[in-house]
Amino acid sequence: MTSAVSIPMHGSTGGRTAVAARARQVVKAYGSGETRVVALDHVDVDIARGQFTAIMGPSGSGKSTLMHCLAGLDTVTSGQIYLDETEITGLKDKKLTQLRRDRIGFIFQAFNLLPTLNAIENITLPMDIAGRKYDRAWLDRVVETVGLAGRLKHRPTQLSGGQQQRVAVARALAARPEIIFGDEPTGNLDSRAGAEVLGFLRRSVTELGQTIVMVTHDPVAASYADRVLYLADGRIVDEMHKPTAEAVLDRMKDFDARGRTS
Amino acid sequence: MTVVKTSMRNFLAHKGRMALSAVAVLLSVAFVCGTLVFTDTMNTTFDKLFAVTSSDVTVAPKDAEAEDTPQNGVPESLPASTLEKIRSVDGVKSVEGAVVSMNVTVVDSDNDNVGATSGAPTLAGNWTKNDLRSMEITSGHAPRGPGETMVDSDTADKHDLKIGDELRTIAQTGDFKARIVGIASFTVTNPGAAVVYFDTATAQRELLGGADRFSQFNVTAATGVTDAQLKQSVSAALDGTFKIQTAKEASDEGREDVGEFMDVIKYAMLGFAGIAFLVGIFLIINTFSMLVAQRTREIGLMRAIGSSRRQVNRSVLVEAFLLGIVGSVLGVAAGVGIAVGLMKLMSAAGMNLSTDDLTIKTATPVTGLILGVVVTVLAAYLPARRAGKISPMAALRDAGTPADGKAGWIRGLIGLVLTGAGAAALLTAASADKASDGSMMLGAGIVLSLIGFVVIGPLLAGFVVRVISAVLLRAFGPVGRLAERNALRNPRRTGATGAALMIGLALVACLSVVGSSMVASATSELDKTVGADFIVQGNQRIVPQAEKAMTDTPGLEHVTRYKTLDATLTSPDGKTDDDGVTAADPTYAEDVRRVTTEGKLSAAYGTDAMSVGSDYAAKHGVHVGDTLSVAFKGGETAKLKVAAITSDDVAIDQGARYISIATMEKYLPAENVPPNTIMFAKAEDGRADQAYAALKKSLDAYPQYQVADQTDYKQELKDQIGQLLNMVYGLLALAIIVAVLGVVNTLALSVVERTREIGLMRAIGLSRRQLRRMIRMESVVIALFGALLGLGLGMGWGATAQKLLALEGLNVLDIPWPTIIGVFIGSAFVGLFAALVPAFRAGRMNVLNAIATE
Repeated sequence: MTSAVSIPMHGSTGGRTAVAARARQVVKAYGSGETRVVALDHVDVDIARGQFTAIMGPSGSGKSTLMHCLAGLDTVTSGQIYLDETEITGLKDKKLTQLRRDRIGFIFQAFNLLPTLNAIENITLPMDIAGRKYDRAWLDRVVETVGLAGRLKHRPTQLSGGQQQRVAVARALAARPEIIFGDEPTGNLDSRAGAEVLGFLRRSVTELGQTIVMVTHDPVAASYADRVLYLADGRIVDEMHKPTAEAVLDRMKDFDARGRTS
Repeated sequence: MTVVKTSMRNFLAHKGRMALSAVAVLLSVAFVCGTLVFTDTMNTTFDKLFAVTSSDVTVAPKDAEAEDTPQNGVPESLPASTLEKIRSVDGVKSVEGAVVSMNVTVVDSDNDNVGATSGAPTLAGNWTKNDLRSMEITSGHAPRGPGETMVDSDTADKHDLKIGDELRTIAQTGDFKARIVGIASFTVTNPGAAVVYFDTATAQRELLGGADRFSQFNVTAATGVTDAQLKQSVSAALDGTFKIQTAKEASDEGREDVGEFMDVIKYAMLGFAGIAFLVGIFLIINTFSMLVAQRTREIGLMRAIGSSRRQVNRSVLVEAFLLGIVGSVLGVAAGVGIAVGLMKLMSAAGMNLSTDDLTIKTATPVTGLILGVVVTVLAAYLPARRAGKISPMAALRDAGTPADGKAGWIRGLIGLVLTGAGAAALLTAASADKASDGSMMLGAGIVLSLIGFVVIGPLLAGFVVRVISAVLLRAFGPVGRLAERNALRNPRRTGATGAALMIGLALVACLSVVGSSMVASATSELDKTVGADFIVQGNQRIVPQAEKAMTDTPGLEHVTRYKTLDATLTSPDGKTDDDGVTAADPTYAEDVRRVTTEGKLSAAYGTDAMSVGSDYAAKHGVHVGDTLSVAFKGGETAKLKVAAITSDDVAIDQGARYISIATMEKYLPAENVPPNTIMFAKAEDGRADQAYAALKKSLDAYPQYQVADQTDYKQELKDQIGQLLNMVYGLLALAIIVAVLGVVNTLALSVVERTREIGLMRAIGLSRRQLRRMIRMESVVIALFGALLGLGLGMGWGATAQKLLALEGLNVLDIPWPTIIGVFIGSAFVGLFAALVPAFRAGRMNVLNAIATE
């Protein structure tokens, strides 16, 4: 199975398509000839709008590469990627930057915040850069949702790891992007802080209708998602809807076993 | 050994980051070595020249000075009869009388000066065998009779002179014309002198004002007779009224004169190299601080696995040592290039130097290497110590951007104390009564306030950067804010980077204030005191024929002669001095108005009267009516009555003692009366323009003299000071270039250090343009910070210097705002320029790699 195209192009969410992002026959290869390494091997995938999608897979499976390509951070060797109806493959750096700024939110594993800016400045940074006015009420709601009201004037160094990631979540949410990409957003947190952050992500999908794509190798983190995609050797090998941590773990053990016997 | 190995690897791994530091070391070392090679080469050139121009033994008049013509403008000479006396001395192979005068101007048929430029002498003399040692006739023949002359080929080439051209020689004893019949070339390097030769009789008549006299005798020793022996026997044969020198003594004397001059050049240039070194130190400190900060985790690991503090410390110093070696070695090589470049530059200015004489003493590369290495290692010492203090725990901590250096309060306190002490010293200097005390205080004030500012810089950075940002950056929105925060995040780094620029610009500001105050003071004094319409002067004292041309000019109400006389003064309290007196026509009192504290100035021009300055009067208790004894050199001793005391609160003629020319003539025989140093003239009422034109026309034949009315004179003065300042600015450019490299260095290393941040910003939508702008603005803010501090400090120094020099007549403080503002705005552009490459590289960073960087 190299395809995770299972969502009808036109769904229920009004004017916009039900698919927030899609990849078609995406290949990402490094090097050439003998040393050619294929990170993504003709991947087709649809990311459903208003859903929390997790991408899982062992190290080197291409899960981060897929996310980077979907987010316009990395270029593809061939194939197309669309954000809503916009094809982002082949866009120039300037357009891509604008697209990331205006339509995409990011949460990285670590080093999400600029140390020179305080929490609220970090949260509004993408909108400031764009020179966009922000929706005060929405901002307040986001800040309240992630529970940072009392710490907005703090610099990142004065916040705990969990708080820093919550600021990053708030930043991603504040600009109301069409889609948020998370690259192991809880990878550096202890389980309690991680659960907190994942809880906010879950709530932002459920309550705010946000679309989120998250790369993770943690079955517990994946269990917060609506749908889990499994990658191995640059291909999508499986997917799971409404996952639980146990089911994800079992599935992964399967892959591991298969990987070892094959 | 492991320490050396790790250091070596680190050094090679970070060679890019070290590059600019190496360039800074290179530039400073190159300047030092270039200066040494250049001055050594000049000395070699002169040594060779003097070695071939001195005969075995030279017999000259007792008072003859190689470079000075006596005050009456005619070279000292000896009777020809001496020649016979020398010839009969044992051990003399041959003796030849030479005539030489330096008090000449040679012009071509268009009245253009063909003499030497660039301060080298113009020599006129007879062609002797001794000249054959340094020259050969390359075309035509030696002069054989009146109306014939020979010139050196350098002069001929420079002024396109050919055989058959007519030259006019202007000497104290008159003008005379001669046609070129020969051209002679130097066989050694001629650094720039212009030489014209005549036959002996012509030279004697026209240059010495009489036959049968010679300037000196060149004696050649017979085989087997040493110069010293010859000198001894010649001395025995003559009485003590001669100056007798062996070839070695003569060339040593010449070398000494040149050597003193070369030393001034050498130390001045080394001073500027020193400033560049000082600025380079900041760059090196910053580089190593940043490298250590970026390597914190690595160093923590080394400590964790058992490296001692000393080992860590030493590993950084070894890296600095390697940097010093690389920079210095390249610097020494570049220094030779600089020396050759300077020689070419000198050629363009009319001074010939040959690369054949290029002298590289062993001391030069050794000095360069030691200086470069020692300075680099010393500069790296503080960062190295900081590296040693890194705890093993650092290995375990999360690697992010290194902890921001905070400026401590102890530093603030020390800085404040130093700055305060500096300010106090400057204030003391400004209110000093005596220039000598004040200048000590000024020096101390400059050094203390500079160090104070450097120490306090990181604290000031916080404040100044905020102010500059509030004015400049806020307009650029969030990008401006990011730039401001980046400039503020490590005040120590911003402070050090700015301080490097501050040093150069402080000196520029200080000198520009002093320079423009000099112009303003002189202008204001000229306006106040000078009543003459025209001023005539030049680099040859005014010969009688030029004086006559001037006196004969129509439309002049009066012409004033002004002569400086050697004389010994004895005051009533019995003290004597050799400061001489000034003899002028009584009209001089109108030409240059002087305030008197006692008596009337016009009375000083009466018979047997004189004036003295107020400082002299106060020191010796002299009042109007007292009598001073004035012993004129070459004349009688006169008893002159003080008729006026002039105020010394001036710059022109400060301390001058005036007598009238009539009084001088009473005591000084005509043949010992010196030519005018300078002359003044006043036009008839309402005819100034015609008179100016007429005067210029009369002196057309004497291009060595400049005729200026007050406006032109002020302009000339301004131009002269402007030229001097430009030269100093040119030399300071080196320090400023190093400082700009420092800004580039800081930015480049910051960009590397902030790779992840930049990646993050790019990921969340900062465009390349915005990123580049952010870095450019940070750079501009740092540059403006340095400029603001430097200009402020420099203006303070300049103003203090002016207050102090007010004692010497520098009465007007003039801040050259256009220059100051120009430099400030220029600094912003320097900032933009410095950010070009770092910004470009930041923009080119791959977003993904940037995020992934550990």
